[in-house]
Amino acid sequence: MKKTLTINLAGLVFHIDEDAYNKLKEYLENIESHISDENESREIIRDVEARIAEILTNKKKDNRQVVTLSDIDGIITVMGQPNDFAGDKEEEEKASHTFTQRNYRRMYRDPDHRIIGGVCSGLGAYWSIDPSLIRIVFIVLAIVGMAGILIYLILWIVLPEARTVAQKLEMRGEPVNVSSIRDFIKNEYNNVKNSMHFNYKTN
Amino acid sequence: MDTKLENAKAQMRKGVLEYCILSILSKGDAYASDIIIKLKEVKLIVVEGTLYPLLTRQKNAGLLNYRWEESTQGPPRKYYMLTEEGRRFLDELHNSWTELVDAVNSIRP
Repeated sequence: MKKTLTINLAGLVFHIDEDAYNKLKEYLENIESHISDENESREIIRDVEARIAEILTNKKKDNRQVVTLSDIDGIITVMGQPNDFAGDKEEEEKASHTFTQRNYRRMYRDPDHRIIGGVCSGLGAYWSIDPSLIRIVFIVLAIVGMAGILIYLILWIVLPEARTVAQKLEMRGEPVNVSSIRDFIKNEYNNVKNSMHFNYKTN
Repeated sequence: MDTKLENAKAQMRKGVLEYCILSILSKGDAYASDIIIKLKEVKLIVVEGTLYPLLTRQKNAGLLNYRWEESTQGPPRKYYMLTEEGRRFLDELHNSWTELVDAVNSIRP
């Protein structure tokens, strides 16, 4: 017995095994990390998703309803490994070069641990300190004068939100490369899994 | 040695891929899978993934345009076509390809 998820690929609905889902998600994220231009990668991912939806629709015709791991493996064989998506060789090298150069910290808002706008959690990740301390400082500044609120609003506007995995790694000052991204995704996945178990137990 | 040879071949194929995509589209509009089938037939690409970034880049460079068409086989398809600029670009590539072939033929034993 396996748990299945429902996904939307290019506007079509598919039922997919949990392990197959994880593999597909990792695959798409890996492709994304191999294309340096953000707008380009968004469009390419959309095209790739549409193609995958097409392949899966054709497979659905033999009455099987659920997408399995072997379907995803088949798709990866047809579509190619993520580095096949990375333009030509020079660009690939350039991309890995910028990846290594990007190994520094950047300030972002952290949407995963936010209370209001993710400013304090982002600053906490940047300085590797407990975001609660920063929240206390902001609250004190807000009570003393308007400064706290004003600074918070300005930071909210100025700081970009860490949306992609690469940005989240940058926020914590961790190197951005394929293996660190993979580790990050695995951790995220385990966190979700654990919190689901936890909820299950408490209910 | 073998990997070196494979690498050299792959580089050669990559060099002409862009030219071939434009050539295919000059014969009529096509969606990604049509182009893939043709390129696979002549063994210019092995996996589909190579094509998508090229199409997007050519489109962003103004060489291609696309329209959506409904499909009974799945999601709507993106049909690519050459723009005026793409046609001019392709003509240039035709010329330089002929020059290149002549040059190579005149040098090699």
